[in-house]
Formats: sequence, C-alpha cells, structure tokens
Amino acid sequence: MIPTGEATLGPFFPPRYVDAGANDLTQCAGRKAQGEAIGIAGCVRQEDGAALENLVVEIWQADAQGIYRHPADARHREADADFLGWGRAATDKAGTYSFRTVRPGAPAGRARHVNFMVMFSGLMRILKTTMYFPGEAANEIDPVLAAVPAARRALLVARQEAPGQYRFDIKLRGQDETPFFDD
Amino acid sequence: MQTVIAPRDERTQPARIVPGYPQTPWRNPAQPLVRRPPTLSELTGPLEVARRVQLLGGDIAGHGEKQALGQLMHLRVRVLDEDGAPVGGAVVEIWQCNAAGRYIHPNDDEHAPVDRNFYGAARLVTDDAGSFTLRTVKPGAYPVPTRDGWWRPPHIHFSLFGKVWLSRLVTQMYFPGEPLNGQDRILNAVPDAAARESLVARLVPPTGDPFDALVYEHCIVLRGRKATPAQP
Repeated sequence: MIPTGEATLGPFFPPRYVDAGANDLTQCAGRKAQGEAIGIAGCVRQEDGAALENLVVEIWQADAQGIYRHPADARHREADADFLGWGRAATDKAGTYSFRTVRPGAPAGRARHVNFMVMFSGLMRILKTTMYFPGEAANEIDPVLAAVPAARRALLVARQEAPGQYRFDIKLRGQDETPFFDD
Repeated sequence: MQTVIAPRDERTQPARIVPGYPQTPWRNPAQPLVRRPPTLSELTGPLEVARRVQLLGGDIAGHGEKQALGQLMHLRVRVLDEDGAPVGGAVVEIWQCNAAGRYIHPNDDEHAPVDRNFYGAARLVTDDAGSFTLRTVKPGAYPVPTRDGWWRPPHIHFSLFGKVWLSRLVTQMYFPGEPLNGQDRILNAVPDAAARESLVARLVPPTGDPFDALVYEHCIVLRGRKATPAQP
C-alpha cells in the first residue's frame, strides 16, 4: 500500500496542538485588549497552488501602542496587560487561517506590522515572514521591508477587504512566493 | 536589555529539500531567504504563551492499569540559550508516536495499533534551571511509505519558545545506538556530523532510581553557533 498526500510523513502535530481560541488575541482570560479589533485571514499554498490544510500559523506583534510585552522593550511596563501579542491558528480544508487581533501600533523606527511563522509537514525549518498594512507611509522607511528586494515587497503588504479586515495570503514556493526571512 | 543573537551555522541546519521526502520540493522556498536587520520586533517574543494554551504536563505514560504499553523512560532535558545559559519559564511542546510507531492523528494510517492509554502530547514550562523531565514510553520506529523502504527511527518532536522571536525552535530528538539513525533522511539532512550527534540523547547508566524506567538526558540549544539543528 502506498498512501498518498499527508499520510506519507509527519510531523503529525497532535490535534490538541492548536487550542480553541488561540487565534483570538483581542481578549485574554475574559479581559479585552486595548485598541481597534481587526481580522487577518489568508490562504496558504504550495508551489502547485494546492491549498494546505492543518498547517500551523503563529503571529507575534506589538500592542495597540506599538509596545512589546517583553523586557527588551524600554516601554514594556506601559504595555497592555490584556494583550499577549501571540496567537496560533491552523488552516482549514480550504487552506485558510484567521486571526482576531488589534491593529498594532508602529514601534519606533518601524511601520506597523505583524510577524508570522509557519510550521508544517515537509518544512525542514520553520518559516518566518512579516505582514504590513496597506497605505501606510511608514512602509517606505521600514528597515525590514527595505531589506526585501523591491520587486517582492508588495507580497508582504496585506490587502484590505473590508474596514478592519485584512487578507494576507502565503505562498510557500513558486510564483508569487512570499518573502521569508533568514532568522 | 538588548539581546545579541549570533547567526546559526548553516552546516548545522538541515537541507530544505530532501530526496524521498515528497513534500519538501513543493513547500520550501525557492528564493533566497532575506537577511533582515534585527529590530525590537525580532528581539522580543511571547513570554506568556502559557496564558494562551493549555498546559498538559510532562507525564504522558499513564499509571497503574492505564499505563501505556512500551518501554517506560524518563527524559531529562536542559534548554539553553546561545551563551549556554539556562532558559527558564520556556513553554515546551512535545509529541511522539506510541511504542508501536502509531500517532494519534487523523492522517496517520493504520499500519500499527493505537494504544488507548497513550495520547503522545505534552506541554510544559521549563524550571529556573531550564530543565524539565518527560515521563513517557519510548516511541517505536515506523515505515515511511516510499517505494524504497525508508523507516523513521524512534524520535520525539519538540517545539520551543525561548525569550525572543528569533529563538523559536522546532526540532526532533533521537535515541543512541539505533541502527535506523544512519539511514534516516531527516536526521541525515543535517550536513555536519557533530550537529547530527547533538540531536541524539544520552542513555544514563541505570542506578536503580527510578527502578522502573530508563533515563535519557538531552540538551537543546535554541540559538547561536551551537544551536540545535531544526527538524520538521
């Protein structure tokens, strides 16, 4: 018997790996985070365009004031106590992930952005990328976006689909391949 | 407090496309990865993951009539940063197949039996010394259904959160003296022999304490020149 597709090899993340509610950063233990709630969703595809199910996506971002809840941020004592900055989602059968979060503030010297990480069967190393918001003047001066070859930068800017709702598709390889960072 | 992060040594990291691992050519980027200047965004990271996910503890072998089948073992792990300092308070997620080589997962086929007393997933937090102990049963080997007969050796998966976004690590651990280690395409995707060896745990000579379990020791380095190789 030669099984097909995902049956051939793990890693088999346990079904409990993605906790219910881990993709909602707008609240923590019933307390609401400060700032404007937004949605971010997108489809993850491989080289042939096939949508990938059960892929794990994580995000890390600053709070609504642009502060990271971490001692390396000089302003961390002012960080929103009800915003952890981290979330995890799994893609569904259509390859779609979704998060509820707050619109991040722009940290000093940066445009507002959301860090992404992807882990999946066949990815020998986790992949990291960063999502930017459309229409932000600060995108022009962001040092991380500037490190990306100019022709590929637009692939890191999400599309606004409705007020407060953004779409950020991820292509792991091939045409319109998402720029990933050498972290 | 600004962390300085040394880059990983590329020879210690696995090739991205692995012959015989059919998903790898479709999913790993073809474009060169972009080197970015580390900013606060990468030099911070989630320190409170345990407020968002359910901790499952590190004892997954079961007890009494509900003890899982297989060789009972304790795995003592230390988690270190790039300077060799222990990383306390780190969330560690662990998953493995049962003693017969079967995962609790809808995509695993039916080549081996499920053990109703073994779920195979742990989630815990390291202590101040960066340590934790996993009580489990030794995972079995399992066949990879490619035409040329590749078996995965016994291994345990780890996902770790360090102190910063740059130290997020997903890897695997192997067992010493396993004949299948030498032919495993995922372990051997790491070019450097010493780096491969760093993925193999050490069997602690039995002392009678504990009397009922083998004891293994392992060390995971999250970042830097001596970083533990990533594994899928």
